[in-house]
Amino acid sequence: MYGNYIKLALRNMAKNRLYAFINVVGLAIGLSVFLFGMVLASYERDHDSMFSQRDRIFTAGAKFSDAAEIGVLETNSIYTAMGPLLQEELGEDSLVARTVTREFLLTVGSSNDSYYHTVTFADPEFSELFDFTYLSGDNSALADPLGLVISESTALKYFGRADVTGETLTLDHEHDLVIKAVIEDIPSDSHFNSNLLTERDARLFAALDTLADIRDFNIDEDWGNLSMGDMTYMLLPEGRTQQWLYDQVNAVYQRHSPEGQIEFIPEVKVRPLTEDNTMIWDAIGIPAITSVQLLGLLVLIIACVNYTNLATAQSLGRAREVGLRKTFGASKGQLLLQFLVESLTTAALSMLLALACLELIVPLFNAWSSKVLTINYLDIFPFLIATTTIVGIAAGAYPAYMITRAAPIDSLHNSMLRGNKGGLFRSFMIGVQFTISVFMLASVMVMYFQNKQVEQSANIFPKDNVIVLERVGVDAIKARHETLRNQLMNLPGVEAMTYLSQVPFNQSNSASGVALEPGDEASEILMNRIRVDEGFLETLNIPLLKGRALTRDIAGDVMEAESEVVNVLLNQTGARSLGFDDPLDAVGQSFFEILGEQSRAEGLTATQFIVVGLLPDQNFLGLHNKIKPTAFMIQPPWLNNAAIRISGDNMVQTITEVERVWDEVIADYPIQQRFLDDVFNEIFIVYETMNRVVAGFALIALSLALIGLFGLAAFMAQRRTREIGIRKVLGARVDQIARLLVWQFSIPVLWSLSVAMPLAYAASGLYLNFFDERITMLPLIISGAALGALVTAWLIVSVHAVRIAMSSPIGALRYE
Amino acid sequence: MLKLNNLSKFYRTDEVETVALNAVNIDIEQGEFVAIMGPSGCGKSTLLNVIGMLDQPSEGDYFFMDENVASYGEQKLSQIRKQNIGFIFQNFNLIDELSVAENIELALLYHDISAKERRQRVEHIMDKVGIAHRAKHRPSQLSGGQQQRVAVARAVVGDQSLILADEPTGNLDSVHGQEVMEMLQSLNNEGTTIVMVTHSAAHADYARRTINLFDGYVVTQSMRAAS
Ligand SMILES: Nc1ncnc2c1ncn2[C@@H]1O[C@H](COP(=O)(O)OP(=O)(O)O)[C@@H](O)[C@H]1O
Ligand SMILES: [Mg+2]
Repeated sequence: MYGNYIKLALRNMAKNRLYAFINVVGLAIGLSVFLFGMVLASYERDHDSMFSQRDRIFTAGAKFSDAAEIGVLETNSIYTAMGPLLQEELGEDSLVARTVTREFLLTVGSSNDSYYHTVTFADPEFSELFDFTYLSGDNSALADPLGLVISESTALKYFGRADVTGETLTLDHEHDLVIKAVIEDIPSDSHFNSNLLTERDARLFAALDTLADIRDFNIDEDWGNLSMGDMTYMLLPEGRTQQWLYDQVNAVYQRHSPEGQIEFIPEVKVRPLTEDNTMIWDAIGIPAITSVQLLGLLVLIIACVNYTNLATAQSLGRAREVGLRKTFGASKGQLLLQFLVESLTTAALSMLLALACLELIVPLFNAWSSKVLTINYLDIFPFLIATTTIVGIAAGAYPAYMITRAAPIDSLHNSMLRGNKGGLFRSFMIGVQFTISVFMLASVMVMYFQNKQVEQSANIFPKDNVIVLERVGVDAIKARHETLRNQLMNLPGVEAMTYLSQVPFNQSNSASGVALEPGDEASEILMNRIRVDEGFLETLNIPLLKGRALTRDIAGDVMEAESEVVNVLLNQTGARSLGFDDPLDAVGQSFFEILGEQSRAEGLTATQFIVVGLLPDQNFLGLHNKIKPTAFMIQPPWLNNAAIRISGDNMVQTITEVERVWDEVIADYPIQQRFLDDVFNEIFIVYETMNRVVAGFALIALSLALIGLFGLAAFMAQRRTREIGIRKVLGARVDQIARLLVWQFSIPVLWSLSVAMPLAYAASGLYLNFFDERITMLPLIISGAALGALVTAWLIVSVHAVRIAMSSPIGALRYE
Repeated sequence: MLKLNNLSKFYRTDEVETVALNAVNIDIEQGEFVAIMGPSGCGKSTLLNVIGMLDQPSEGDYFFMDENVASYGEQKLSQIRKQNIGFIFQNFNLIDELSVAENIELALLYHDISAKERRQRVEHIMDKVGIAHRAKHRPSQLSGGQQQRVAVARAVVGDQSLILADEPTGNLDSVHGQEVMEMLQSLNNEGTTIVMVTHSAAHADYARRTINLFDGYVVTQSMRAAS
């Protein structure tokens, strides 16, 4: 019986090839996109399965209040001081391990080869939490304060071989560490290798105590440093819940956190390890993974609607067949089943095609993204069956119901073909499709224009002409800053140069409390500090609104450790926050540092800042950050970067010259240089990728909707041939008839716009909220997208409308 | 009113060439009532379509009101057609989605006529053909004879001077067929030229002249004595 139905279904598809093709291919595309979204989402949410204790490992991260104003909602890092306190609170049954990742200059063995590399410093418990595969050595390596654990590919990179235990790596030319263990490379689908925003290159591990020695900071007391990727891992004791852990962690935090901290970090978030890979999206408030799944589902819905629409339209042509079957005694249920088997067959064929597509897409995607998505068919088999069934039934239910409910006499007379049965439903379905497509299209365009805006406002800095030299802050290099600067400035292609603590687009906030009067805590405001040097304004093309630039020639312009008074530049927002209605009035005035309790106890005096120049408000932090009150000052110890503006001519030669000068002056450190543009792109690329991904979905969605419309228009035009013939005989012109047909499809498209546009407006807010400087022409962009979709729909329908309107009417009239 | 001069029509389908009309010469005067007869497939409908400018001749000349329209394009033909020619079909060709009144109005819709005047003329013509009480009904709710009366009303509502009827009684029983023929005759008496294809000798008797076609040729043209 079923076999018979399937045979019938296949025969029917063979008979109506165009519709069958549109149906199968459309559904296959929808299914591919949907399945890919699912596979990707489950990949991202199922990281770290290589570690046997994964499900018992949790992480602690700071949750920020609005008052913190740092542009993210949370981080996966908590103060290192929490570590020992947590271990004590959680007891023997738990394990707490912290990691801190820092970058060092590595010298390999006794050679002169030096490279910058990040080293992850970890508590000894770290080796107990994560069971790496040891190629040599064992998990006691980190118990040795001078021990190193290195991954296989890192060993190969530096030594050309894997058996490197006993070899030495020197950090910053002075700290010798010995390799105690070599581990297999950590697979890509581990949080150690998540690299959405921060590069967490964790292929070199050392003991946390060593970092305390080298960098001279008291790790167990530190309540000051939070840096994404610096983790605190906790092992959940047997029989305890995540809620219990959360309560313990926050009890510790409330009890021990320094005064005032709670205002900015009201609580510590406890997340299972599996969430660490995706928490970045929660942190920035863009639900990317869920969005990908949702977009996939929307595309699938569009594909289903295509099927439903075409099948409904087409089934009208089969009314006579159904009438005959009924006349010969087929029951309603049997007919219903026949039509459902047909749609299920289509869905099954589409599913096979979709899986074939996935087999092609996944490897391509893996190669492009350096992820390792896999499809485990055994695991998802029930899911695939369920999806096929749901899609088959959802898409086929309406047409099956509609065709089988009619009385046999009506079917035989084919009067259904004439009436407008199902027309309302079809209109509604077209409307649904266009609502989804227009919604997506509008979102893509909003993202696109917002990104353009971000890019444009970044262009206030000459980012294509500025070379950034990084890691020039070590003492050995700092001693030669003056020489390097003089020699570089002598190069013909170099126009200006400065040292500075951070270049534009570096997302670093270093702020302190200040006020107009010394000790006036009531009117204290947070002032960002950016340390610069002579040549700062010229190098970055920053205009001076009033006053003068800073120079090393004036003693008061340079802030030394013992300085009590220092001259600074201020931006307009800074001046306004201090209370100057007209920022220009700030020039010549002073403001004062507000000391913390401890500094006051130590008898320090508050630094006085004299404003000698006013700068315009420019978004120095760039991208999604707010423009903040900012003071610029010359403070030599902080100058970790250099920026060089070079002229547009002979850039390649100038860069070569810069490298030559570096190698002459600072032979013992490799040059680390890139264009300011690359600094910008490092994060901008995330926005661009998001835009592209949504654009891909929108493109597929819109194409499917248009293909569906094309098929439906073809069918409707065919169905109305006779009517059109009559109208033509009565004198209707081609354009009048074309308009008639186009109008039929315009109604659902038009109402769908009225639904899609407000939806897109709301959804855009989700993305735009992330930025401080937002595009203003939102309604215009959304209307543009809507208009685009409408015009395309018109064009598609017009093709048929014009064709049918131009054809000779006699055929249509003669043959009924 | 119209004159066909050595007019031929060929259909080419997959290597087979059908000669539907073979060098036909026909002259029809204003106010005539002409019947066209002949066996099935002899080219009657083709002739009517060419006369009605729904189809273009392959060879020969077609003078309509002294204008040679044989080589005119669809645009121009459509203009002439809608001013002058009304059609009645064997299968009525009414649009099911529209009411009786709307079906009739359709013939005025593509002319430059105000909505008010359209309504008046539709009402007037519905009275005339005795269908006014069915104005709001759908064609599928009417009998065949009533449907054909709607079609006749539609054919003349635009004051067309030439009516082409292709087997207008073919789908009707004799009583209803009679009714339609009487309507056509009274239209003819008011001056409308009528060209009608029919299989019924009795209905052909309403016409003053009968043209017999056979295999694309005009075989005989017989005049009936004026009654
Ligand atoms: N569109 C067409 N294509 C091919 N042959 C056609 C077409 N229309 C009519 N014919 C052929 O032309 C001949 C005359 O047809 P028609 O005028 O419809 O005859 P009648 O109306 O007298 O029955 C027939 O042989 C028919 O098969
Ligand atoms: Mg015929």
